[in-house]
Amino acid sequence: MIDFVSVAILLLSANSLLLPLLQIPKQRNPRLPGYVLAGVLAAVVVLIGLSTEYPGTIAWFGTLLSEDILGAVFAMVTVGITLAVTVASFDWQKGPNAPVYYSLLSFTALGMLLLSYSSDLLMLFVSWELMSLPTYVLAGFDKKLRSNEAAVKYAVIGAMSSAIILYAISLAYGLTGSTQISAVVQGFYQLLATQSSSSVLASLAILLFIAGFGFKMSIVPFHMWIPDAYEGAPTTVSALLAAATKKAGFVAAIRVVLAITTVYVLTKSPLFTTADVLAALALLTMTVGNISALTQKSMTRLLAYSSIAQAGYILIGFVAYANSPGSTAATIGMTGAVLHVINHAILTGVAFLAAALVLMQLRRADLGAYNGLGRRMPITALTLSIALLALAGVPPLSGFWSKLLLFLSVANGPFLWLAVAGILNSALSLGYYGWVVKRMYFDDPESPEKVPEPFWFVLVFAVMVGLIIGIGLFPQQAINFASGAVPNIAG
Amino acid sequence: MSYVLSLLIFLPLAASPAIYLITRANKRWGIYASLALGTVVFLISAYVAGKVYASPPQGGQYLFQERYSWINFNFLGLDYLVGVDGLSSPLILLSALLTVLVVYGSRKLIDHHEPAYYALIFLFEGSIMGVFTSLNLIMFYIFWEVVLIPMFFFIGIWGGPRRKYAALKFIIFTYSGSTIMLLGFLYVYLGMTNAGMAVSFDIPSLAGKIPMGLQYLPLLASFIGFAVKLPLVPFHTWLPDAHVEAPAPISVLLAGVLLKMGGYGFLRISLGLFPNASAQFGWVFLALGLFSMFYGALAAILQKDLKKMIAFTSINHMGFVLFGAYATIVSGSLLGVQGAIFMMFVHGLAVGCLFMLSGYIHHQAGTRDIPALKGLGTTMPRTATVLVLASVAAMGLPPFASFLAEFMVIAAGISAYAILAVSVLVPIITAGYFLWMIKRTVLSAPEGSPVHDMEWSDVAAFSVYLIPLVILIVASYFILTPALPVATFLRGLA
Repeated sequence: MIDFVSVAILLLSANSLLLPLLQIPKQRNPRLPGYVLAGVLAAVVVLIGLSTEYPGTIAWFGTLLSEDILGAVFAMVTVGITLAVTVASFDWQKGPNAPVYYSLLSFTALGMLLLSYSSDLLMLFVSWELMSLPTYVLAGFDKKLRSNEAAVKYAVIGAMSSAIILYAISLAYGLTGSTQISAVVQGFYQLLATQSSSSVLASLAILLFIAGFGFKMSIVPFHMWIPDAYEGAPTTVSALLAAATKKAGFVAAIRVVLAITTVYVLTKSPLFTTADVLAALALLTMTVGNISALTQKSMTRLLAYSSIAQAGYILIGFVAYANSPGSTAATIGMTGAVLHVINHAILTGVAFLAAALVLMQLRRADLGAYNGLGRRMPITALTLSIALLALAGVPPLSGFWSKLLLFLSVANGPFLWLAVAGILNSALSLGYYGWVVKRMYFDDPESPEKVPEPFWFVLVFAVMVGLIIGIGLFPQQAINFASGAVPNIAG
Repeated sequence: MSYVLSLLIFLPLAASPAIYLITRANKRWGIYASLALGTVVFLISAYVAGKVYASPPQGGQYLFQERYSWINFNFLGLDYLVGVDGLSSPLILLSALLTVLVVYGSRKLIDHHEPAYYALIFLFEGSIMGVFTSLNLIMFYIFWEVVLIPMFFFIGIWGGPRRKYAALKFIIFTYSGSTIMLLGFLYVYLGMTNAGMAVSFDIPSLAGKIPMGLQYLPLLASFIGFAVKLPLVPFHTWLPDAHVEAPAPISVLLAGVLLKMGGYGFLRISLGLFPNASAQFGWVFLALGLFSMFYGALAAILQKDLKKMIAFTSINHMGFVLFGAYATIVSGSLLGVQGAIFMMFVHGLAVGCLFMLSGYIHHQAGTRDIPALKGLGTTMPRTATVLVLASVAAMGLPPFASFLAEFMVIAAGISAYAILAVSVLVPIITAGYFLWMIKRTVLSAPEGSPVHDMEWSDVAAFSVYLIPLVILIVASYFILTPALPVATFLRGLA
């Protein structure tokens, strides 16, 4: 059996290393590096798809990687979003630095691909860094003050979160003597069984993991860098940060935190459980994200806060799982969480790309630029409206189904309050999503002339909108894909 | 397996882009195509309503049922399930009829962005058909929400001066209400799953199966969703804004069709799925309905804007629907539910006619202000005649069927609690403010320049609203016969 995932990894590694070489010759086609990367990423997506059809093991990587549906879902989503970002970058990133830009994108994709399949804490950490380091450079790629400020802020916070994760890994290793995630989970179970006094350290490790991953997942209170970074970075890169690298934080949290939750309760006589911690974070994240988004004047900041709020919804599924792993509610919740990861990647990705196009063509990112956009850039406005309504959870678009599953998973039982908070947040979010739609269709534009919409953007929009409506009307396949990942959590 | 109901839902939805393209190419042809499409849908709905009348399904049974597997997992099963009974068939017929009339009435009143307008009308029609025929709670919710999107754009693009505010207020109010309603459904589903019971989202298989303990919170949640839509005082504040800003044809859809979703929801879901909790708190709902009736009537007296006055009349009339529905649960008198269903149908026509007329008067006379409209009886005799007749219909006087509907609801209310006889005052107040309005507008001395009266073709269109009301007072069995098993079924559940 061909080992599709390994082939994909090697292909992407070779591509990342070789792309900068394109800078050396006098170029005929300034877009060549972009085309190469898009081709490679498309091939990787196909290979991952094949690996789910013909499962094997990633033999070349020993126990560092484990091939499962959970990994495939996240690899597919993150690489797919990178592909969309690459295609959308064709039109503005074609200067002499293009090979470097696309090579950095490629490295990020490789990091996310490895991270998705990681089954060892050290592998997880190395891929985490491989994913993060290129994005620090990408965030500052514009060589403008804002962009550089965003990059520095992002890099400092990123380094801090890496340090926290590393500390948590060292605690876990010290307690269990292994970095293999399944062995760590077993070790934690032993600790619990023997009533060992080091269980305080174990709880500390879990909390540190949540905090470390939380920076990437944009969980409140670890979210402060997000709006600045997303606003300062080139907007296509923001799409990558919000739609792809953020998802990598979720897969890490699922593989480590939720796997441990399966066997371990946070305190011996539980004052509070992991589910309580996650529920509090979910509530904070949703509410802070939505309320802050209501008052934003810039589209990228609005989307940044919306993306924070969406992370809160995903956490609801984690709560249902941590509350009683193995129950029907847990299955529903994690299916919803994984599906929402997929949906949110598509929705936030396309929304940021639409914002990138508006910024590129109108040189403005404030909400005033969106007035009357329905007449000036009809395709972009329609795409953005569909994406925003789907983010709000309006049926029959894709976002509805994942939110339905997430709210269903806590709709009865101790976390009913979380479902109520989530539903109210969802209604609140329509306040700012609807506000943007209102600007695009009800308000008059400042100047009436039409603005060109480049082919590559339109292509990406069409594919993404097709996915949004397709998943919305016929969710069976998508839910099936997402639910396939759930049994992988316990390891 | 029948496919009639799917046709009813998806024909307008699928044809909507075509209507957009045709209207973009040629406005006149677009309106003709819209009229033709509306008529086809109306004929299908008339066929459905005729069948339901000819052989009314037993309580808890549905005609034209269709079921296809849609989402199928061990943790979540959803079937595409549609069907009609004596509750939904009048509403389907009403929606289809009003859509045709609205298209006809829009040809003069809508003068920009026509392609999108006519396309959205059919998006609205298809999804409203979905609301009234869905027998699966999630499908019901999906169509319920989809209805909001065209309405948001109708108000926001074709509305009056404060259209943007009204559109956002409308969508945020109704969306908040309906998400809470959805949470109620999810609560039941997960609760029954956790209790190890066989569970689905299908209304027919849930009816009478939900344990008492799982009924209270969902009843409250769905109450919020339906009360916003109905609208019930104090959840009504979006309605006057939406009505005043919406163009007249859209007000017809808003009052004639969209508000019915609330009444339908109370009957189908609050009473149909949570009957025990409903019975226990029946008096609360009766009180709320009564309050809404009085509030709507009293507030209408104060309005200077003709359209706002009609909007408050809607609140008043929709209070009757809730009142009637719960009167049956409390007293056991079948007249309540029957009257509520009848009321929804006749209110759609009477108030729809008035809203369209208000748009017409605004278009011709340049104002809707009741004090500013003088001497319509002299300047616009035909318009004035229609206005008087439609007002009489809305007051609930014979020979219009509204009389019968109000009578039935009040009779059921009295058999619940004798004190509810005070509800007799509501039609009296209603008659009072309508007569006062007629005195000021129709019977006053004319002022200012003369205006064009309506053409005979418009008179014909307006009589399409009113003639069925006259026929129905004799042929009331057309609606009441199929409604009887529904009423019996709902009473039996409690």
